[in-house]
Amino acid sequence: MTSHAASGLTRDQHEETSKAAQRLADRWLVAGTALMGTLVFGLIGLPMFLRGLWLQRGAEQEGLSVRPAIVTLIGYLVILDAFINSIGWALDLLANHSLLNRVFFTAWGNYADNGYFWQYNELMVGGTAAPGEKAWEVTCIFVVFPMRIAAAIAFLQMKRWGHQWLVVTCWFGVVIWVGYVANMTMYADIRFAGTLLPVFGWWLFDVFYITPFLAIPYLHTVNREIFAD
Amino acid sequence: MSRSSTDAGSGTESDQELPLGTTPQFARMHRLLRIAITVCLFGLVIEGAFTVPALAIWYGYPTLSLTEICDEFMKVRWNDETATCEYPYPIGGPPYGGKGEGTERTTASTTWGVQPKSNLPRIGFRELVRNRERRAGR
Repeated sequence: MTSHAASGLTRDQHEETSKAAQRLADRWLVAGTALMGTLVFGLIGLPMFLRGLWLQRGAEQEGLSVRPAIVTLIGYLVILDAFINSIGWALDLLANHSLLNRVFFTAWGNYADNGYFWQYNELMVGGTAAPGEKAWEVTCIFVVFPMRIAAAIAFLQMKRWGHQWLVVTCWFGVVIWVGYVANMTMYADIRFAGTLLPVFGWWLFDVFYITPFLAIPYLHTVNREIFAD
Repeated sequence: MSRSSTDAGSGTESDQELPLGTTPQFARMHRLLRIAITVCLFGLVIEGAFTVPALAIWYGYPTLSLTEICDEFMKVRWNDETATCEYPYPIGGPPYGGKGEGTERTTASTTWGVQPKSNLPRIGFRELVRNRERRAGR
């Protein structure tokens, strides 16, 4: 009846083989995500990530007990989202006078959000001077993103608390997006005036960061019994 | 790790083909979510890989070095042709102490008030290169 019986393995052998297959796939998935998380090496990381997905799919087709593909996608993309956001904001918070930051972050600012160009590095702590922006950086870097990465790791390990905390942090994502966009809109004269692509450019860049929102309907409709206590 | 599909689902014949944890009534939604998440993955990687080089080219690289681009940004930001990009910036600068490169500058064209306006000009394609050449010509 069960797949391990069908493949002629004992239950223990089936579990061992499944674990090994998942671990092999995870190696590729982790390496791919780490490279994609740097932003600039994403094109190297993506094929590695896809190979991990492909290995996992192959194991599933062989009847092994591996994670569902959508759990893998959500878990790793939530981590990726947190890493890419953290890199940019951590640079602005801690390395705002480095040349790379003063060239590329302010260039990005001038393209999509002049909050990262206007009066830049005038604030006592340096970096963006847009009203409210530093508060979002601190909130997200020190609270939301670490919480989200921890939750996503446990979610990938199919743990119950990983599922529960991913629900919490993904809803937190709604709070930060609504708060952030509202704050940005209040100061639109600073943030969008003089940019290359006002408003549209910001959405064009940021719309791909909606994975935590896409996770919410899944997290609320998945059969929670698959996540172990 | 995960259990086989017969352990956790409702166990009926109809959901044998569904992914673990997906019930028949949400199968379509889960498939659409998987597609949307995959689109986001490709979107993030493609924009991530091309944004940095695209910005560098727009703002004058390789005609201008990174330090020169930084320099031109200073002149636009502070509306001041004498503003320069100090590189390397002292390690004790913000946020670790000292003054930021923008501290006490008063030349920016900002209109101050409860709702400040930046009055920044839009920087066109390789306009910083032309700005620099014009200044060198003078």
